[in-house]
Amino acid sequence: MQRRDFLRGLSVAAASAVVVTPSVSFAADEKPKGSNALSYKEALAAVTGSKTPEVSKKIALKVPEIAENGAVVPVTVEVDHPMNEDDYVKSIHVFATKNGNSRCVDAHLSPANGKAMLSTRVKLGETQEVAALVELSNGTFLISSQSVKVTIGGCG
Amino acid sequence: MEISRRDFMHICAIFGIGAATSANAAPRTVSQISLKDIYAFKNTGNFTLLHMCDLHAHLKPLYWREPSTLISAPNLTGTPGFLCGESFAKHYGLEPSSLDAYFDTHVDFETLAKKFGKMGGVAHIKTVLEHVRKTRGADNVLFLDSGDTWQGTGVALKTNGEAIVKAQNYLGVDLMVGHWEFTYGKERVRELIGMLDAKFISQNIVGDDSFADDYEELIFEPYTIEERGGAKIGIIGQSFPFTSTANPKEFTKGWSFGLRLETLQEYVNELRDEHDVDCVVVLSHDGFSVDQEVARKVHGIDFILSGHTHDPSPKPIVIDGTVIVIAGSHGKYIGRLDIDAKEGKVNNYEYKLIPIASNIIPADTAGVKLVDELYAPYALEMNEVLGRTKNILYKRDTFFSTFDQLINDAIMDEMKCDISFTPGYRWGTTVLAGEEILMDNVYEMCGITYPNVYTFELKGERIAKLLEDIADNVFNENPLYQQGGDMSRLGGATYDIAVGNSTGKRISNLKIGGKPIDLKKTYIVSSWGGNLQNAGENLQENKTRAVYDVVRDYIKRKKVVDVSNEGNVRVVDYSCGCPPKGKTSCN
Repeated sequence: MQRRDFLRGLSVAAASAVVVTPSVSFAADEKPKGSNALSYKEALAAVTGSKTPEVSKKIALKVPEIAENGAVVPVTVEVDHPMNEDDYVKSIHVFATKNGNSRCVDAHLSPANGKAMLSTRVKLGETQEVAALVELSNGTFLISSQSVKVTIGGCG
Repeated sequence: MEISRRDFMHICAIFGIGAATSANAAPRTVSQISLKDIYAFKNTGNFTLLHMCDLHAHLKPLYWREPSTLISAPNLTGTPGFLCGESFAKHYGLEPSSLDAYFDTHVDFETLAKKFGKMGGVAHIKTVLEHVRKTRGADNVLFLDSGDTWQGTGVALKTNGEAIVKAQNYLGVDLMVGHWEFTYGKERVRELIGMLDAKFISQNIVGDDSFADDYEELIFEPYTIEERGGAKIGIIGQSFPFTSTANPKEFTKGWSFGLRLETLQEYVNELRDEHDVDCVVVLSHDGFSVDQEVARKVHGIDFILSGHTHDPSPKPIVIDGTVIVIAGSHGKYIGRLDIDAKEGKVNNYEYKLIPIASNIIPADTAGVKLVDELYAPYALEMNEVLGRTKNILYKRDTFFSTFDQLINDAIMDEMKCDISFTPGYRWGTTVLAGEEILMDNVYEMCGITYPNVYTFELKGERIAKLLEDIADNVFNENPLYQQGGDMSRLGGATYDIAVGNSTGKRISNLKIGGKPIDLKKTYIVSSWGGNLQNAGENLQENKTRAVYDVVRDYIKRKKVVDVSNEGNVRVVDYSCGCPPKGKTSCN
């Protein structure tokens, strides 16, 4: 009954986790913005070219409801879309909407990937939405997001 | 005094219709309530699930007062999981001053305690279990334990859980899941499972150490298939999803928890499609409100046997065809669920929450002997009389309870801190007004494996932010983002709270030592049972001491403790502790 879901026929191209927030802190929003700062709005626009992405149930975004450790939050994105030569998922992007630099991962895919799936870990500075943005080969953008709670916990 | 019978609550619901019927039973006088009334049940179907949750290691009968304040976000307050007192009695149709009202609510608790006596105790539980096994045939009965069983009393702490495992074996537990069990640490959990006759199952605990062989593998069997009464029953285990945030991470280092609803759905499908079970059950420690969300999100579960939030729910809740039951806490109840399931389908069921009234249900003699044996090595320490209490000492309530206040008073007195934090977990004990306080009672309140009271420094702004963070774990409008406990208790501080406000904006008028909090000032903080010391600075290591020792010494010094039930929190958006659904007051 043991299973390794994460190994099930996946392949991800160049998933580079850009980790920016220096420490887990619920005061992240009070820190001065450094040269590396990039707001969610700016980061999203930089990828979409200011096109409005369509909220889509085709994106299965898997994140924990409450982070066990804000420094390593597992994120899995799976897109229910064909991967044909003329119709495929071109890229998957992950944003931590309230991090100083909200852009976490840009993964570029081709039909050779066979399946549009990405699994990574991101650092979250505080409770916030994690968003997965998907670009299709025809130039349209899809998006899905979910809130992840980062807490010191300890209520028993 | 009139008495109502639990059996008028019987639910006989036909699947697909979800209709609940209740017959009106004639009220009875006290002298007329008997074992027969407690046992009364309409035998149904081909097998029985017996259910226990949150025993918290209470081998002996105890007093346990249910909450007089149980407030949550406005969309949840007054719904099952957030019902108490008169609202609870009204929702479930309890007769005032009945045995059920005594067990299920705080109303008239002290008067009724004298009339009906203590609750629970494994020797009394055993008598009920054996009655059901005899009535139904032992081969047709499964006994399921939703966890929080191994931890919560002195005898559990002193034996590192072993005394409780022996009691579970005596009771004949078949399956269990866990939460506070994990605070004995991974290695000890495995040892105790080795001693346990029951199976320990959990689909939501997965290896998280990328250098270990079990990385991303299940730590326990996710489910089991049991045959009872000719039916194949698939039972999936769901341990407390937020163990690693609610309790110190070091106990479960390398294990990842979480709700894991995707895999839960996969196992439900696997049981139905590949194993052709007749009935799918989830044995859960998610909490009553979280499991209502689980039933909305995961399809194909017939029954969820819930735990964690300590709700006594006389009636099941049915959500999208999933029936959810929860059986209180501290051994006060056994849930009996008779099920008619065959050919892959549940046709009918009957449920009753059986109150373990220790004055009415005779003790099994082997159980009395076992409990005596388990306590014997610690009897001298446990039975030490520390002092006496003027008023009732109880645990529970959303913001404040008297036993917590006593603990905070003890900490403030010894640590000379500005403010103290103690945990809002929902287990403990009740000591009636005028009674002696035993060392056993102190362990019942704070016998944990990480008992240290830490004293350290925190900036005012950090304290304010932490309180908001804790409040959001308790009052988030989405049950999936709650951790199922009550607010941390504060010593030396008062505040106002608007529960329905958004995250980070609930608390106002926070005062420390009677003065408005100075956000720039550094305060001396004492805390136990949480992670706050990790956020603090300048830990005073020489002061660190176990909370049960601090409390013991304080009660001994005082001889008579006098804690009022006034509380230190003003709730802005509710005017009473147990408002009905959609209301902010009780009128």
